[in-house]
Amino acid sequence: MATFILQDATGIGSDDLDPARGFIDMAIIANDTGLGMADPAAGKQRLVYARTGNGPPRLRLDAMINTAFSPNYGSGANNVDTIVVAGLKSLVLDDGTPMADNGTALPPKSSGLPGASLNPTEQCLVIYDTQLAICVARDGSGGVLDLPVSPPVALYHEFSHAFRIVNNTLLALTVACDPSSPEERAAIIDENDLRTDLASRAGTSPTLRDPGIHCGRLASDGEECCCIIATLVSRSPRSQQVQKLRCARDHFVRGTEVGHAFFEHFFRDYYAFSPQACTLMAGDQSLRHQLLEGFVEPLLDFWNMMVERGRCVMGSTQLGAAFIALHADRGHAEQRRAALQRTSAYWESGAGQSAEAPAQLMALLRERAWPSPYMQWALVAPVRLMHALLTRYLAGADAPAIGRAFTEALDAWAPEVPISTLWAGLPAAQVRRELGFCERALLQTTKSKTRFRQRLGERFPDITAVAGVLGRLQTIHKGDTW
Amino acid sequence: MVSDDSKPDDLTAAIQSVAPVDTRLQVVVRLQNKAARALHYVADVRAMRYDPTTRTLTLALSDEGREVIPGLAGKLPLFRHVDPGSEAEIHLSVPDRIVKLSRSAGSAGSAGSAGSAGSAGSAEPDELAFETQQLSDVREVVVEVAWADVPYYHDTRASALQDARLPAARWEQHKARATKRQDKKRTPKS
Repeated sequence: MATFILQDATGIGSDDLDPARGFIDMAIIANDTGLGMADPAAGKQRLVYARTGNGPPRLRLDAMINTAFSPNYGSGANNVDTIVVAGLKSLVLDDGTPMADNGTALPPKSSGLPGASLNPTEQCLVIYDTQLAICVARDGSGGVLDLPVSPPVALYHEFSHAFRIVNNTLLALTVACDPSSPEERAAIIDENDLRTDLASRAGTSPTLRDPGIHCGRLASDGEECCCIIATLVSRSPRSQQVQKLRCARDHFVRGTEVGHAFFEHFFRDYYAFSPQACTLMAGDQSLRHQLLEGFVEPLLDFWNMMVERGRCVMGSTQLGAAFIALHADRGHAEQRRAALQRTSAYWESGAGQSAEAPAQLMALLRERAWPSPYMQWALVAPVRLMHALLTRYLAGADAPAIGRAFTEALDAWAPEVPISTLWAGLPAAQVRRELGFCERALLQTTKSKTRFRQRLGERFPDITAVAGVLGRLQTIHKGDTW
Repeated sequence: MVSDDSKPDDLTAAIQSVAPVDTRLQVVVRLQNKAARALHYVADVRAMRYDPTTRTLTLALSDEGREVIPGLAGKLPLFRHVDPGSEAEIHLSVPDRIVKLSRSAGSAGSAGSAGSAGSAGSAEPDELAFETQQLSDVREVVVEVAWADVPYYHDTRASALQDARLPAARWEQHKARATKRQDKKRTPKS
C-alpha cells in the first residue's frame, strides 16, 4: 500500500471533500491511461498505476504509488502511507492555520519532522485546497509574484514534500520565504518539472517558478497577477489581450488605496469561480473562441476607452468617434455583434434554454459570479453596454448619437461602482484624495459625481472623515472637482 | 528585532459587530491609534482557534505561535497602517464552521465536545478523522491584532534564518485585543 485519496471520514459531511477533483488533478499530473483507483475501502481509495510513459512527473507518481515505504524516524522502521485530502476548504490545523488557498504535507506524528505535531496519525497527509488561487514568484522576474498555481501543480508540490517525508530525506526548512529553504527549493524544482511537462503537452514554452523564492500571496491581494480566463481564451499569459487587460487594471484603478481595495474584493470574487471555469473550458475550443469574441475583446475595448477617458475628459462626440473607430471593419463588427448576442443569450436564458452553453459553466457563473456586485459592475455591465452601442451603431447611428448614448450609459453605470469598506478606515485627507481620483478618472460628469457622493454618504453616515469631506463639498459647489 | 518605543495601549481595538452572512461570519473591528505616529498592523486572519467548551472563537491577526511546515508558499500577512490620532476599521470574513483533524480518533467515548457538530467517536485507532465545529452559536469572539510602530520589512540578516518564529511574528511589538460576547443566540442560517 502506498498512496490513497480520502473519500470520506468520520466527523465531516460527504460534501466536504472533493476526491473527484483530487483524482482529476492526479490524472493531469500523470497524463497516462495507466492511472486508476482501486475500490473504496474504509473511506479511502488506493491509487493504482501501471506506468506507460516516462518523464519526471510519471516516474515520481510511479514511485509514490507503487512503493511500500517503511522509513525509520528513530524508533524502528514502520509502514507509512500517503493520504491525499483534497478540497477540505474549512480545514484549520491545530495551530490555527487555515488551509484555504493553501497546501501542505504533514509528516507522521511520531516522526519528529516539521509539521508532525499537527498530524494526529502515523500516515503522511497531503492536504490541498482544490480551488486555491495564489500567485508565486515567476522565474527570471526578480521576485514578481504573478505566476498562478493550478491545483495539479499545488498537489505535485506537496507530493514532492511527501516523497521526502516517506523516504525520511526531508531537507531543512527555514522561516523565511526569500530565500527558499532547501526543502522548499527542492519542491519548487520538482514543481517546475510538472510545469515543463504541461507546457510540452500544450506545445508552448514553460513559465517556471523561481526556486530561490518560496513567497506567495493570495491572487485577491492584487499586484501583478493572473487573469486566468483571459489567459486561457487567448492561450498565453503574455498575449496582447492579457497585457491590455493588465494595463487597464493597473493604470486605471489600482494606483490608489480605494482602487487597490476594489481589486482585493474583485479578485476574491473572481477567483471564487475562475479556476473552475477554466477547468470546464479547457477542452472546449469553440467556447473559448466565443468567449474571446463575445466577452473578452469587447470588455478590453471598453476598459481601454475608459483609460483614455480617465486621462483626459472626453466629450460625447469624442466618445462616439472612439467607439466607431474600434469597429471600422463592418464585417468584423457584425461578427462581434453576433458573438455578443450569443453571450447575452447565455446570460439571460434559464437552465436548459441555451443548448450551446455548457450547463456546468452557466450553473457555476450563476451561483458564484453573477451574485457579486464586483463582477456585475466590472465585467457584465460593460459588455452589455458595448453590445447595446454596437447594435445601435450597426443600425445606422452616427458618432454624435453613439456618443450621447455612451455618455448616458456611463452616467448610469460609473457611480454604481461597489464601495469598499476601506473608505471607513481612511483619514480625511486621504478620503479627499481618493474621492478626487474617482471623480477625475471615473465619474467626470456632475450627474455621476452627485450620485456617487450620495451613495458614499449613505454608506458611511457615522464615519467622521467621510461625512466631513462630503459636508465640506456641499458647502462649495455641487459637482465640484478636487 | 525592531526597537520598541511604543506603549502597548497605543493601539486599541473594539469589535463593532459579528454577523452571519451566508456561510460566513463577518466581523468588523474598529482600531484607534492614540499615538502621535502612524501604527502598522496585520489586517487579515492568520489563525483561527475555537474552544468548544467556552464557545470562544479567537481570530489571530498575528503569526505568533504558528509553526513552519512544508507548504505551497510562504504568505506574508496583509499590512495596513492607521494615522496618528485616527481610527480605522477592519472587515474580516471567516467560515461559519471549522474542521479540524481529530486527535481523539478511536478513543473510547470521544463523542465530540460541546459545540462540535461532528465527532470522531467511531473512528478506529490511527484512522484519519475530523471534528467539525459550528461557529453559529459562538458565545464570545476574540480578535488579536499584531502591530508595530514601524512597517514590516524583510529581514535579510543571516541570523533571521535561525529564528524559529515566522517573520511577521518577529516584527510585531504588541497585540491589540478585543472581545465581544454574543448575548443572544443567533438564528441558524436557512
